[in-house]
Amino acid sequence: MSSSQGTIASFIKDAPPGELSNVVTDIKALIGDQSDTTQTLDPACQQYNEEQLAAVKLPGSSQDVIISPYNSLGNGRYFDVESQTSFLVDHSTKKSSAVESYVLESQHADLVKSTLKALAAHAQEHYPSSSYGAYPTNSDSAIAVVLVANKYSPNNFWNGRWRSIYTFTPGSGELEGNIKVDVHYYEDGNVRLLTDRPITSSISSSATGPEVIRQIASLEKKYQEELNRAFSNLSEGAFKSLRRQLPITRQKIEWEKISGYRLGQDIGGGRPR
Amino acid sequence: MSSDEQFDSALDLLRRLNPKHTSQNLQAICTLVPDLTEDLLSSVDQPLEIRRCKKTGRDYLLCDYNRDGDSHRSPWSNEFDPPLSDGTMPSEKVRKMEIGANEAFDVYRELYYEGGVSSVYFWDLDDGFAGVVLLKKAASPGGKSQGVWDSIHVFEAVDRARTAHYKLTSTVILNLSTDTEGLGGMDLSGNMTRQVEQDHPVENDASHIANVGKMVEDMELKMRNLLQEVYFGKAKDVVGDLRSIPPLTQANKDRATHQEMINAMRR
Repeated sequence: MSSSQGTIASFIKDAPPGELSNVVTDIKALIGDQSDTTQTLDPACQQYNEEQLAAVKLPGSSQDVIISPYNSLGNGRYFDVESQTSFLVDHSTKKSSAVESYVLESQHADLVKSTLKALAAHAQEHYPSSSYGAYPTNSDSAIAVVLVANKYSPNNFWNGRWRSIYTFTPGSGELEGNIKVDVHYYEDGNVRLLTDRPITSSISSSATGPEVIRQIASLEKKYQEELNRAFSNLSEGAFKSLRRQLPITRQKIEWEKISGYRLGQDIGGGRPR
Repeated sequence: MSSDEQFDSALDLLRRLNPKHTSQNLQAICTLVPDLTEDLLSSVDQPLEIRRCKKTGRDYLLCDYNRDGDSHRSPWSNEFDPPLSDGTMPSEKVRKMEIGANEAFDVYRELYYEGGVSSVYFWDLDDGFAGVVLLKKAASPGGKSQGVWDSIHVFEAVDRARTAHYKLTSTVILNLSTDTEGLGGMDLSGNMTRQVEQDHPVENDASHIANVGKMVEDMELKMRNLLQEVYFGKAKDVVGDLRSIPPLTQANKDRATHQEMINAMRR
């Protein structure tokens, strides 16, 4: 990979929720829309779509299905458990095509299906708008549970994304994964919230789909409460200790008399030294 | 050859990509399109670097406005580091104001930041002068969270009869982060820019320092409130829009009950 290809790939990786196409347009305007540009952009977009759990609509359907590393069949083809189909994805346009029937073959097929059903109910209760999936993974030794919730408001200059990615290993009862939040605000500026909460937990090795989801729901609730507290802690802690709202005297500076301010005395609220 | 379209695309890209990587991304764009380098370096604000003045031992801030080639001018000694025999200097009159402004904003820094570093640089214009007021502070209260604040206030003062017209463009770069076991990693970083134009009476050179001082003080108060709203209000609200802690069926039921009560009271 040349260094400019590496640069372009790193730009794509950094793209905020819902703004991949804007980033691609900017890159093309910067370096020109040549055939080797597309050759660099396509694999970078594929990686972005899989990592960010991009949702695509199947032809003729209104339901979103997820693209992830867990349901990839290679060569741009992915499978969906619920509709029992596989489909091709164009990673730059996020359009699906060439739908074929797909039968899930896994020793955990029943667990995948019952987890998916419980996940649907969980998603409906806590995410106003989300897409999700459950798939066999790690050579059919575990199942992956993924969920993405997006809310885009480009007219108000903000976009947000919540991702939950877990693997449950029935043999050991281990539940591992990450919850990641990405919020971008860009009116007369560029502000980004990026969080990553690694999850290591365990449940019964014979846990059913609803039990797996119950544990996930409890972990997510705890995390969101922790995150809300972190906003207050940063506001009351680091933010406040950087710059005061007003000097300790609670008065704005008298600039005409600034040369008369003596450091240490006037600043300490007029306490004698 | 670079074009306006490329320049605009570079700025748009930097407004979208992770603001914590602005310096690296800026360098990467300049490597891709070298012709954009000069224009981008003078229009994109980056976190300020601190250097110690060899002559006075005091810290000062580096930016594009006190740079000449690979050297930077200290506001305390007025000398370039590494030394330059023919570095760009303000005129004697403007340097005198610059010394006064550095003293004034050193007091301002202590009153509002209770630490940190400040530097002011002035330069001559045909019909007045221009300058930049820089402030930087880092904090890590309790060791659990870190924060860095960079203020960059660029202004122009154009002389008119007994008044001056001031144009101020202010950027604050605010990076906050925390990492604990229950929370994992959380990074809340970015920058915001605002502009203001005002006329103020001018009696003598000291009036300029007071006028710019008041404008910067008002602007920082406004921007501090704005940052608080965006970082701790808006960002938190968006997370709440993505995921609801109370079950949505319950939340919808509560809302319906609430609406019924309002309707009942109206009857």
